[in-house]
Amino acid sequence: MLTYDIVIVGAGGGGLYAALETSRRKGLKVAVLSKVYPTRSHTGAAQGGINAALGNVAPDSPEKHAYDTVKGSDFLADQDAVELMCEMAPKIIREMEHMGLPFSRLPDGRIAQRPFGGASFPRTCYAADKTGHVMLQTLYEQCIRFGVEFLNEWFALSLVHNGERIAGLTAVNLRTGEIVGIRAKAVILATGGHTRIYWKRTSNALGNTGDGPAMALRAGVPLKDMEFVQFHPTGLRRTGILVTEGARGEGGYLINAEGERFMKRYAPEKMELAPRDLVSRAIETEIMEGRGFEDEEGNKFVYLDLRHLGRKKILERLPQIRELAIDFEGVDPIEEPIPIRPTAHYSMGGIDTDKYGRTVIKGLYAVGECGCVSVHGANRLGGNSLLDIVVFGKIAGEDAAESVVGLELVDFPEVEVKEQEERIKSLFDGEGSEKLSQLRRELSDAMSEGVGIFRDEERIKRALEKVREIKERAKKLKVYDRELTFNTNLQQTLEFLNMVEVAETIALGALERKESRGAHARTDYPKRDDENFLKHSVIRRGEDGELRLTWKPVVITKFQPEERKY
Amino acid sequence: MEKKEVVFRIKRFNPKRDSEPYYQEYRITVPKGMTILEALHVIKDEIDPTLAFRSFCRSAICGSCAVKVNGFPKLACKTQVFSELDKFGTDTLTLEPLDNMEVIRDLIVDWDKPLKKMEEMKPYLIPDPSVVPSTLDEETRVYPEELKKYDRFTDCILCTSCFSACTAAQMDEGYGGPFQLARVYRFAVDKRDALKEERAKIGYAYDMWNCVRCEKCADVCPKHVGPVDGIMRLRGLSIKVGLKDNPGARHVFAFYKSILESGLLNEVLLPLRAKGIKGVLENLPVGIKMILKGKAHSPIMRPIAEHENLVKVMKAAMEVE
Repeated sequence: MLTYDIVIVGAGGGGLYAALETSRRKGLKVAVLSKVYPTRSHTGAAQGGINAALGNVAPDSPEKHAYDTVKGSDFLADQDAVELMCEMAPKIIREMEHMGLPFSRLPDGRIAQRPFGGASFPRTCYAADKTGHVMLQTLYEQCIRFGVEFLNEWFALSLVHNGERIAGLTAVNLRTGEIVGIRAKAVILATGGHTRIYWKRTSNALGNTGDGPAMALRAGVPLKDMEFVQFHPTGLRRTGILVTEGARGEGGYLINAEGERFMKRYAPEKMELAPRDLVSRAIETEIMEGRGFEDEEGNKFVYLDLRHLGRKKILERLPQIRELAIDFEGVDPIEEPIPIRPTAHYSMGGIDTDKYGRTVIKGLYAVGECGCVSVHGANRLGGNSLLDIVVFGKIAGEDAAESVVGLELVDFPEVEVKEQEERIKSLFDGEGSEKLSQLRRELSDAMSEGVGIFRDEERIKRALEKVREIKERAKKLKVYDRELTFNTNLQQTLEFLNMVEVAETIALGALERKESRGAHARTDYPKRDDENFLKHSVIRRGEDGELRLTWKPVVITKFQPEERKY
Repeated sequence: MEKKEVVFRIKRFNPKRDSEPYYQEYRITVPKGMTILEALHVIKDEIDPTLAFRSFCRSAICGSCAVKVNGFPKLACKTQVFSELDKFGTDTLTLEPLDNMEVIRDLIVDWDKPLKKMEEMKPYLIPDPSVVPSTLDEETRVYPEELKKYDRFTDCILCTSCFSACTAAQMDEGYGGPFQLARVYRFAVDKRDALKEERAKIGYAYDMWNCVRCEKCADVCPKHVGPVDGIMRLRGLSIKVGLKDNPGARHVFAFYKSILESGLLNEVLLPLRAKGIKGVLENLPVGIKMILKGKAHSPIMRPIAEHENLVKVMKAAMEVE
């Protein structure tokens, strides 16, 4: 049994910021536990930038940032939390700048800012098209500076609490295969997103499997707004790999098979820089109505054309995008347009928290994509996710560090470790009549079909039934690799089981929300319905194992809901 | 669509179970466009769930999946199977774990050694209070040309490909390593940093002069960072901060002096100038052999034609630097 004051699960931007914050307080024993080494986490794949009303390029204010965010969220975001985030944004950007983060600069030496979707002004600070990468590296560097302890390549299995307070968690050390109980006065979950559920077409890393929300669900901790899944408009044709919104921010065009900039029909004012939900629906509509392209493999797509930006700008501002397009599509954006289609990208929903990252269990926090404050509501604006993770990572880290002082550890029953050992043993002894890769494909198909970009009752119901069927069939999975050392077969099976659990909540939320709002577009309820659904869905698993959905009010301060036009 | 039957010959080893590594062959059908990483997943999903390798982002930014493909470190996720087959004119690709690190299992190596080394070398900005504002109401002014000095070196994704290929790391346990030293340089030229050029002393302590400039690190870097360039510049900085009295620095000065004198490299005087009498003694056996074979030149060398112009070019180049 290991013992810490605070354990942070996940080493992306949220986890590392929380760790830095706790390291400021001397004498606390803190560890960051992650299934990958720090800097491998998916924060590093964020390309385009991070929003803050610095006003370096055009006059701006946190209030305007907050308004854009709330409007982008289709008014589902909690406005007190949004205000807090936007207020803190300029300071936290400068804090990271002072840590050495290599932001791109204006000729006068200030931090450069570029236009992004759904924003009224160029507000997105960036480092070429590798903003998340340099942010993650910088935070890791500072964690080394302040002596943060890391448990690398440990996979969290379960949360342990006494119904009121957190007692710790169980995890498997992937290198040794040992299952360990870890006692802690506070646990901060920063495990990232879960859109790997849409396995066959997503921008996410292979490990974005909803481990945090799944553990929370099993521990009786509620999830919020799970029906909202963001499809990023520009994923590469074959792989769904991300092409940053910065490409459109720098002036890229979306072009259909008729050679037309079709966004003029959907967002005549903002054009390509409308919010992501709207642009993704526009692209899918073009494809459905026969104005898309199709390749010999049957992939359907439209073009993202950057050629008019010119070689110099592409090399300077979008070097990584150019390389990705060359390596993965065989297309050089300087010479040819990039074939793209929307790709499952971001989970607005997550573990239900307040604006300090606190959950219903005292001492248990969730930050970043695995949590839901909510600052993104029904649709997140580009450039707000990097901001979300650092702001709420910092706040939760601070809050946890303060809260554990003078606190005693909660009793951690040994049986919790035994239970996990039993669970894993049962996977080794599985029947093996079902196959992991097959079930994963079926889950992906069911989710894309039923709770993808466009949804309706019949399709969602079918998806929900299918997910429940897969959940049953998953009991017959078998882990064939019986080694203790680095058993990736065990890991991928555990990840899949986590995805299935989370998938069910997405479908259930989608079924119950009988309106269209942000990324949740129901063809049978095409309008937003503030009277009945201006509220958060909250799903929790009862003692009987069944999911229960309730509703929770949205916090509205300054911005009254209005029609969302771009 | 074009498809090929491909044999993947994969080096396997579980130190807890196997007495030594062995190769296992997997034959799969690969469509055009498939990456090495996708092929590895096909093998794991459809043939052998026990095969162990790391992968995460699959878009060349997380640095998890570097392996050796026919002997060369590559990110599996951004390497096309077909292009490797074409390059080697084969239908068999050999996949092995990276070098210079212990194998944990199959293609998974232990990153702790190179990362620990980096951690010791202060790989973080220590803000200079005379440059970095003391309040969060202000950002440091960094001009685009100042950013350019280190921008490229921030592209490193810690995939350890360069460490795997590094000749010096292989020979010298005390050597800092290519990505590690490049990161030292990155901070040494960041005006926000409190240590600045003094960081070159860290490079010195971590044997940066042992880099043999084979440039393999630059060849294998999937992000085109070119660690060796950082190491060379860090050496320059070390001389600037006064670390002149060591074989490495003297070697550079000997080169410089020799070219300045004649435009030619005076190899006979080089050991003496770089390492003194010790250097002469060390090189004596080789020297005698060279003299006997008629390969040694006279210690007095006549300047080349156009020598004056060469000196002008050198001076101009130094001004630019």
